[in-house]
Amino acid sequence: MTSTMGDPAATPAATADLWAQEREPAQKPEEPSLSAGEWLGRNLFSSPVNSLLTVVFTLLVLLAGRGLLNFTFSEERVWRAVKTNMRFLFTHAYPQEQYARVWFCVGAVAVLSGLSIGLLAKTGRGISMKKLSMNLMAAGGAIAVGILLREPSATVDSEGLVVHREPGTALDDSFAGWIDANSLALLGLLLAANVALAVWFRYQGVYLRGGPEPRTAHGVLVLASAAVLIVQQYGEGEIVRESFGSAMADRAWWWLAAALLGAAGGALWFGLGDARRRNTFVPAMYVFFGAGALMVLSAWVYPWGHYAFLEGEFISEPGSTVAMTTKLPWTVMLVLLVASFEAGRALRATPAGRRLRVPLNLLWVLAPFVLYWAVLRDPDLDWDHVLSTDIPMALFFAAFGGLAVWFLAHPRIGEVGRVIAVALVGVAVLNWVAAFFGWYPMLQKARISFLLLAVVALLAHNFAGDRTHRMRLVVAWVAIMAVFHWLVTLVNSPSTVDTPTDALFGGFATTLTVATFTLLLAFPMGVLLALARTSKLPIFRVLATAYIEVFRGVPLITLLFFFVLIFNLFLPGGMSLTDIAGATIGFALFSAAYLAENIRGGLQAVRRGQYEASDAVGFSTVQRTLFIVLPQALRVSIPPLVGQVIATFKETSLLAVAGMFDFLRIADKVISAQSEFLGVKREGLLFVSFIYWIFAYNMSKHSQRIEKRLGVGER
Amino acid sequence: MSKNKRPLWRALAVLLALTLVAASCGDDGDDPEVTAATEAAAPETGDEEPADATTTVADVVDDTQDGDILETILARGELNCGVSGSAVAFSETQPDGSQTGFDADYCRAVAAALFGDAEAVEFTPLTAAERFTAVQTGEVDVLMRNTTWTQSRDTEVGMDFGPTTYYDGQQLMAREGDGFSGGSQVADIAGAVVCTNAGTTTEQNVADAAEAAGIEIELTTFEDFDQVTENFINDACDVITTDGSALVGRKANQQPAGENWVIFPATPISKEPLGPTYGQNQSRFADVVNWTVYATIIADEKGITSANVADMAANPPDAEAARLLGAADDEQQSNMGLAPDAFYQVILQVGNYDEIYSRHLNPVGLTREGSANAGWLDGGLIYAPPAR
Repeated sequence: MTSTMGDPAATPAATADLWAQEREPAQKPEEPSLSAGEWLGRNLFSSPVNSLLTVVFTLLVLLAGRGLLNFTFSEERVWRAVKTNMRFLFTHAYPQEQYARVWFCVGAVAVLSGLSIGLLAKTGRGISMKKLSMNLMAAGGAIAVGILLREPSATVDSEGLVVHREPGTALDDSFAGWIDANSLALLGLLLAANVALAVWFRYQGVYLRGGPEPRTAHGVLVLASAAVLIVQQYGEGEIVRESFGSAMADRAWWWLAAALLGAAGGALWFGLGDARRRNTFVPAMYVFFGAGALMVLSAWVYPWGHYAFLEGEFISEPGSTVAMTTKLPWTVMLVLLVASFEAGRALRATPAGRRLRVPLNLLWVLAPFVLYWAVLRDPDLDWDHVLSTDIPMALFFAAFGGLAVWFLAHPRIGEVGRVIAVALVGVAVLNWVAAFFGWYPMLQKARISFLLLAVVALLAHNFAGDRTHRMRLVVAWVAIMAVFHWLVTLVNSPSTVDTPTDALFGGFATTLTVATFTLLLAFPMGVLLALARTSKLPIFRVLATAYIEVFRGVPLITLLFFFVLIFNLFLPGGMSLTDIAGATIGFALFSAAYLAENIRGGLQAVRRGQYEASDAVGFSTVQRTLFIVLPQALRVSIPPLVGQVIATFKETSLLAVAGMFDFLRIADKVISAQSEFLGVKREGLLFVSFIYWIFAYNMSKHSQRIEKRLGVGER
Repeated sequence: MSKNKRPLWRALAVLLALTLVAASCGDDGDDPEVTAATEAAAPETGDEEPADATTTVADVVDDTQDGDILETILARGELNCGVSGSAVAFSETQPDGSQTGFDADYCRAVAAALFGDAEAVEFTPLTAAERFTAVQTGEVDVLMRNTTWTQSRDTEVGMDFGPTTYYDGQQLMAREGDGFSGGSQVADIAGAVVCTNAGTTTEQNVADAAEAAGIEIELTTFEDFDQVTENFINDACDVITTDGSALVGRKANQQPAGENWVIFPATPISKEPLGPTYGQNQSRFADVVNWTVYATIIADEKGITSANVADMAANPPDAEAARLLGAADDEQQSNMGLAPDAFYQVILQVGNYDEIYSRHLNPVGLTREGSANAGWLDGGLIYAPPAR
């Protein structure tokens, strides 16, 4: 792995970008290098109280870890239920023969992520070799401790049932049996010894002197307590368990993993020497890729088992590696991610790369819509209708609107432009009134297009300028019309992907879809609401305040019940909202109110001087808001905004309560009702929590990086 | 120049985002129209969407009338069937998303009668809370979802009920090691910790039964029946109670080795007739659902199975079978708005009552012999009016 010293390309690019002003971190004083023993002495065993707290909490952590490991790896856990239902958990009933579409979507996101990180992200210096090698060794050590802590496997008979010991033949006469029988007394004794030692050292003044005795003595006692916790399990209870030797032999793969990680960390640590480990850096993404590569490799090598449900038959092959339909796509995904990241890095310094930035951000906004309506649904376009109606209408609006915008953005248009724009707005509003009363039958998208045109016409004078500027505005309008009409046509076309239920998919895909679309809807709404609430116009202020207070005051679950179950009753006959659309609307309305409050906080943090300065240079209200106030306000409100994003992502599990087949509902209710896995529930719940945690943790980490980059809290 | 360029692009990006918001709102505006266009038998939504499947049924049905759900379904070409999706042996969702079970097969049977294709079903898994709303909003046409036929649901809630396909009833389950047997009575559980799931009528039923028997019990409730079973296995409950069909499923799958669970009393403490449920005042659709169920029962009586139905249609054993299978001129299926061979397709593609029952309920230990679900000739309650 090559090491690079930061990224030279980042600096020139950064100066051009208002959003990414990177500040040189203040030089911290160099910390002295401590040996492991010195570190322990200073941080964990520096006083009698510290020593005792360390001992007690180490034991508690070991106990909790042992409990979790034994729960996860117990013979009673039916992990087969989760493995067999893996695809079901993530996409519910999405048909397997169409699964390439799902992988295409994952691939598209991987390519976009890779390009964005390579091209846009300010990666900083990366991870130092010191930190990397320490983390590798820690991971190896944690696995080793885990292997030792886990209880020995129960013996299983030919039918897969756990073998119980005959009553009255406990292992009390063996060493492990004796430890088990007296474990509480032994642990109490060790704890008392710790207390006694702490007191003794205190009066001898050893702590003040900083001598090595406390850490050695307390450390030995901690190890002895851990040994009791481990050995105890080999003498335990009614179930016949394997011996220590065969337990360790069974976990050979894990020993191998621990040894490899530890050896890699150790090699880096001792191979580099103190100065080089501190001053050599690896880009964080390479570490991530390395971890990903290890996981993908394990799918090809390690017998995770192959479990599936194909054509009505349950397939269960514990000894084989995972199915080709799993490991091959993931390998491709990793390759795509790495390749696009490298491509992004290569393009970063070039002019082409700089030109790619805006389109890339636009692609992120477009991707959810395109992937959902064009790829996953595979719309069955009615070409007669497309050619006779859709394309002509799009062309008409592009041409008519383009001309209007070209004319209205003329620098000398003056009041005439304003009158025309207001007239357009009037027509657009009348159009909707007509729709309400059903006067002129017209396609809904024509009405929406007209409304959009009216809004752009109102804004046009802000972008007045010479020919090139006006041309750019026209091009943007035509692009908007093309994308908008294309998407509406896709939305109106029936899906060729046929699932046995009315939803296109469920499970984690629903969670992600609802969360993504909620944020896409709620962010603009939140910004508008925040602006309205801080507006000088009383009507906006009152309306926005009322909205925010109402939606913050209503429980989210009530909104969900209303939009998923009840809203359809209020719609005219024949109309109905799909569950996923209803849920998204409910979430968006709710999140918008919270986001608005977060953004309002940011707006209030923008100083008066900024407003006055922009007034002084003659900015209009729209220009001031878009270019001066909002960028600063949003930067300040990043931490609460990300908090809201994470909350929304996790709150999608409420869909289960509203009767939708989201991730949680499948794990909780559906799998446990399959007669093959009747009542198997804990495994699914543990797995679901783990996946939620991975996503929420990554979002939180990412927001911390953004905060650091934008200097939130420093300025 | 490049300094001016950025804000403009950024503003346009914001605009585009707003457009897309409008587009997705447009979806909410437009989608219902699509639904309306495809659901309405006579499309009148202008040029928005072409309605396609109206021609195939036009010659079969003559008395087209507004608001007849049968016309809507036939025009749609697919039956929307509400199921539980998490009821063992009745409607289980398998790892590939498909529905299997007794209820799911009755959905398929109705689809086979309507379209000659048992796979023309769209299953909508529903919770107990949303099932009636789903029928009232037209999200599903029929419920095959373990719904007990009660007076209030038939009247106040505004449902109509088809013939009972499964006679269930609440029973108790306890360990044989605690001195219980299949012959135990409610009076034998005096002083026991009885567990069930909260918020259902099962709680009330067992309390009533205990009071009637003059005994005291300690009633504990849990959120769902998985937890109830879990606590029973861990000895936190002496007796658990719910519908007999669910108890048998639990016993078949979760009884630990070395233990024997027994279900009693032989006569359940409540009546839970389960069958198809649909919206009120839709007689023509109700007829189709009801007679699909009756056809499976009559076929069972006459020994017509999916294996021999082709022979039976070629050489009908009697006039009734000939009519039912569409092999006689005086068949009644055409009068119902169906194809003459509608029930032939039901038996061929799904099977008769006994086949459907045995396929799904025998593996979990529910047998017909001696239960209310035996045919009327064998002393049970499964009975169908004559097809003539």
